Amino acid sequence: MKRPLLWRGILILVVALVAAALAYPPQRKINLGLDLRGGMHLLLQVHTEDALRAETDSDSARLTDQAKEKGITGLKVRRTGDSTFVVSGVTPEQRDTVSELAQRYLPRWQASRSGDDLVFTMSQTAVNEVRTGAVNQAKTTIDNRINQFGVTEPVIQPTATGYRIVVQLPGVDDPERVRRLIKNTAFLEFRVVKVPKGGGGANSREEILANFGGQLPDDLEILEGDRLQNNVVVGKAFYGVEKRRTVTGRDLSNASPGHDQFGRPSVEFTLNPAGAQAFGELTGKNVGYGLAIVLDGRVVSAPVINSRISDRGQIEGNFTQQEVQDLVTVLRSGALPASITYLEERTVGPSLGRDSIRNGVRAGVVGTLLVILTMLVYYKLSGVNAVAALVLNILILFGGMGLFHSTLTLPGIFGIILTIGMAVDANVLVFERIREEMRAGRTVRSSIDQGFDRAFSSIIDTHVTTMVSALLLFQFGTGPIKGFAITLFIGLLASLFTAVFVSRWLFDLVLSRRKVQKLSI
Amino acid sequence: MQILHDTHIDFMKYRRFWIIVSFILVFVGFYSIFGPHKLNLGIDFAGGTQITLGFRQRPDVDRIRQVLRQAGMREEGIVRVGKDTENQVMIKTAAAKGTEEGSRDRIVAALSRALNPAQKGLDLNEVGSDALTQFLVQADPDHVAAQGPEAARAHYGPVASTIYKERQKNGIFTSMDRILHLPGVSPAVAAALQQGAYLGTFAVLGIENVGPQVGKELSRQGFWAVVFSLLAMLIYIGFRFEMRFGIGAIMASVHDVMVTLGLFTLLGYEFNLTTIAAFLTLIGYSTNDTVVIFDRVRENMRKSRRKPLIEVMNESINETLSRTIMTGGLTFLTVLAVFILGGDVLRGFAFVMVVGIIVGTYSSIYVASPFALLWESLFGVNGKWRKGKPGKLSSGYAGPERSAPRSAPADGELPARPSRPRPARRRA
Repeated sequence: MKRPLLWRGILILVVALVAAALAYPPQRKINLGLDLRGGMHLLLQVHTEDALRAETDSDSARLTDQAKEKGITGLKVRRTGDSTFVVSGVTPEQRDTVSELAQRYLPRWQASRSGDDLVFTMSQTAVNEVRTGAVNQAKTTIDNRINQFGVTEPVIQPTATGYRIVVQLPGVDDPERVRRLIKNTAFLEFRVVKVPKGGGGANSREEILANFGGQLPDDLEILEGDRLQNNVVVGKAFYGVEKRRTVTGRDLSNASPGHDQFGRPSVEFTLNPAGAQAFGELTGKNVGYGLAIVLDGRVVSAPVINSRISDRGQIEGNFTQQEVQDLVTVLRSGALPASITYLEERTVGPSLGRDSIRNGVRAGVVGTLLVILTMLVYYKLSGVNAVAALVLNILILFGGMGLFHSTLTLPGIFGIILTIGMAVDANVLVFERIREEMRAGRTVRSSIDQGFDRAFSSIIDTHVTTMVSALLLFQFGTGPIKGFAITLFIGLLASLFTAVFVSRWLFDLVLSRRKVQKLSI
Repeated sequence: MQILHDTHIDFMKYRRFWIIVSFILVFVGFYSIFGPHKLNLGIDFAGGTQITLGFRQRPDVDRIRQVLRQAGMREEGIVRVGKDTENQVMIKTAAAKGTEEGSRDRIVAALSRALNPAQKGLDLNEVGSDALTQFLVQADPDHVAAQGPEAARAHYGPVASTIYKERQKNGIFTSMDRILHLPGVSPAVAAALQQGAYLGTFAVLGIENVGPQVGKELSRQGFWAVVFSLLAMLIYIGFRFEMRFGIGAIMASVHDVMVTLGLFTLLGYEFNLTTIAAFLTLIGYSTNDTVVIFDRVRENMRKSRRKPLIEVMNESINETLSRTIMTGGLTFLTVLAVFILGGDVLRGFAFVMVVGIIVGTYSSIYVASPFALLWESLFGVNGKWRKGKPGKLSSGYAGPERSAPRSAPADGELPARPSRPRPARRRA
């Protein structure tokens, strides 16, 4: 009797010490969830069809370019879907050459004939590749932006399906700005303004169309921007710009905040070598025309090209200092390959989180005290046993949370409180059984043995049923709910150990020391 | 101390009456959910925006409503939340058509226009420390710009951070005085702030937005989680005990969920993700409560094989009554503490458990056991629907093989299903 008692005691001590070591210091070992420490949780939808369309446009442009080099002009390309396009205007003699070019330069595409037209469809593997690629690139871009913003421990993770990204940012102090920053596609492009010549912009679309007899040439499109007068927006300006995108934000090597000649905030940029060459050609050929600086499809400004510019320039516009700072951040981090919408957002300010902690802890302390008091009054000295087991249970629960690096959420605090209420259930089962056995006239020793043995099957059943619920919750739940499931699960597991093993050991320990005629229960 | 001594209550005597009562309760539950009241679906499932604002002064809810209406928004609810002194308001709007992103921006813009008229510059109740640093670097009241931009940031960064932290710690600024007396805020900085910044009447403390798409997904997931949870319980009890007990336990769980949900709906609590968690926990708890009684029924069936099931049940319920009340009571105490002290966010969760524990304790006595008996009388050995002739409740449950002790696994035999045809000799 003595030896196993000692060994069991040592085991319990080791478990307690390990749990304490895992949980200490609690503020380092146990992470607070976003709902407690404050922060934002975002679920983003990456509109991967944007990337597909861009891919389709650039591939079809490559085909016409190659055809032009072979002397085939007059091809008309029309995008008919996110990943399909139709080439028309192909004469029967040219058809073979075009097909050959397509095979060589567009390996990802399947071509078929429809009348005189050639229909191109992107292969399914390529479509998937482009879509996942867009999500990954979006993740990298957002990563860069968040990094520049200086958020600690951000989580930026694509979801398994649906082309989505989960972003979790603890302790963000200006959620509004981060929201804008993440979502900013920041697609920057430089386009030559053909009409009106000399920049400035027209007052209406019609004014531009009038230059071409009402029908815009194929290689031009009309973009809008704000018309400024003394830094105040007074209306809209329209620009007839070339469709061709020679230089885009991808060609930037760096961007930094600066000021224009009037002292207004502006963005200065440098181009990488390839970009600089293309930019040099573009500006060299178009001296005297306006150069539209287009951000996400809107003309920010359209200065006149006075001379050839190669590797550096300045973006002027009606910016505030903070807009310039944010623009620099997004330009440095690169453009998003596709637009993004927020499907879900949950932001908790730090003050709300602190209130939640205070309320939760207060409720927990009161609940625990009530439980302890009831156990002591109702079961007297045996109640002390149960309370000791309960204290160890709570310690193991925190140790377990430290071990799994689990996150404590507000529902998680409720899980702990609930665990405290349910952990003593097992003690109650045992104690009631012991009382029954004693009423049946058994000795103290035998009542305790029988009480534990017979209550065991009930204890297992009750614990398993609730643990199954907790597992399902974990499977189903989002962040805070997961936290609840984790604390409940670990707590029940711990209670299985403390209410059965530890509590019994305490009884055995007392009984081995002295002869007990009447059990205080 | 002991409350109950050796009770002998005939719980099963009026079991038909209690089954009818339970059916009525469940019906009332259904009625309250699908009837005129409707479940108050939170934004988690219905989609929508929920935004918590802190105000400088006591917020005028009617004025806020008016402002939102004028901006063409239909709010679903504007309520005061938190402590009275905290001047917090929560605004809830339904999901806007055609967008996943909710109405956050529109709400803030409309309120800002109406409540912060003609204010220019930085809103010190809304600005983050980074933007505030930039503002100070730009204004440069302490004239450190000459030392370079890095030095300027290093100089003004801590000042901005102090101001920001003060707001986080002690709530939104009600007057500039609190800022001007902060350490590190030099008279020049104070002057710059008074010139280029202002105190907005409100600040956004928290925001939740769920697009209709995600709302739909969460609803589906929540539904299946509840169904799977019930199935898992059924399978576990069917495996550990017998199917009739499994049916009884599941009926009790369904009963608890419906009754609690009914009351939950009648009192207008919001049904959201946490509520689903609460109900899953309730299903676990309710089963757990029932299992203890069934465990004793199983044990007593082994002891006295010839006694009618109904008597065994009565005996078992009486024997476990003390612990049923004790465990229920202890858990009840803890969830009650959360319900009263745990704050707004946990209140709905705690409510489900507070009601659920009471209903669950009732149901493990008056729903689970009667249903196990009912199942037995319908589908048992002599069940009405089994052999086409009326049978007695008392028969068909006892038999040497069927009640073979589970605790003797040496023969590796599971308890036989009651549905297995039995030789006549075993009848009582």
